Amino acid sequence: MVAQRNPLYSAISLVGVFIALACLYLTLAAPFIAAVQVIVYAGAIMVLVVFVIMLLNVEEEERRPLRMRYLVPAAIVLAAILVAEASFILFYVQTNPATPRTPLNTDVGLTSQIGSGLFTRYLLPFEITSVLLLMAIVGAMSLARRGQLLSPQARVIPGSQVLPMDVVDPRRVGDATEVETDTTDEAARVMGYGDVLRKRDDEEV
Amino acid sequence: MTEFAIEATAFALQNVPAPQVQGVELSWYLALSAALFTIGVVGVIIKRNVISMFMCIELMLNAVNLTLVAFSSYFRDVTGQLFVFIVMTVAAAEAAVGLGIIIAIFRNRESLDVDDANILKL
Repeated sequence: MVAQRNPLYSAISLVGVFIALACLYLTLAAPFIAAVQVIVYAGAIMVLVVFVIMLLNVEEEERRPLRMRYLVPAAIVLAAILVAEASFILFYVQTNPATPRTPLNTDVGLTSQIGSGLFTRYLLPFEITSVLLLMAIVGAMSLARRGQLLSPQARVIPGSQVLPMDVVDPRRVGDATEVETDTTDEAARVMGYGDVLRKRDDEEV
Repeated sequence: MTEFAIEATAFALQNVPAPQVQGVELSWYLALSAALFTIGVVGVIIKRNVISMFMCIELMLNAVNLTLVAFSSYFRDVTGQLFVFIVMTVAAAEAAVGLGIIIAIFRNRESLDVDDANILKL
């Protein structure tokens, strides 16, 4: 996944990793987590990522000259030492900090257990999570939209959208003049705010 | 760290069989999780594309999730899986906000290279 230069390929291999992890969760007797893994990660998040990759038309990462080439053998040696230590611990050291408290066939990973845990003992983290999701929604919306509410080229469907005057101009409270136009620019010109928009566009440019 | 090493060596000398989760030892899950996390860290370090770095962060979150589920299944305690649920929610929120930020950066810079976005403003 890391070795790919095209982000789309690494996204697809990441989906494979997520599905393999879901299978591991199934073997660990956690079916709910496995289902959520497939639905949320492999389903929702990766679809979002692939959508962004397609939307932004990402080109492949170009190869760059390696800086500090002399550090490569040192890095290889250090990595080999680390792998040797880890494999030594893995193969020769057996730790037994505690024994399983209950017999093997339990209903720990089932949905009802997780639900009762979430809504009784861990209710506060659950509620905090909901607030976090709300913040994420608001933040994503405010990040994704452009500077103003409607872009000058936005199509305004005549008759279906009425902009009251007091939205455009705070001084004219209660003035709900109805204007039928095709675009926001035209509406602004009809209402007499064309020069204001033009000046704002010039400042943006 | 030394205490842990001494304890581990003592257990190794006693030659106690390691506890198992349905035939597979816990340490294998932990090793796989460590490997996944390392791959994620390496990706964040060596990648310059923002989306690739983002996906590597997701990979690290998943490695931690694997650890939590393995311990939860091993100790027969549902708390770890609850925490995995919350981590997944946080990851979803992070995905939404992060991709919004990526789109904003691309809109302003016409590039996804992190080296181009180095002035702490959009």
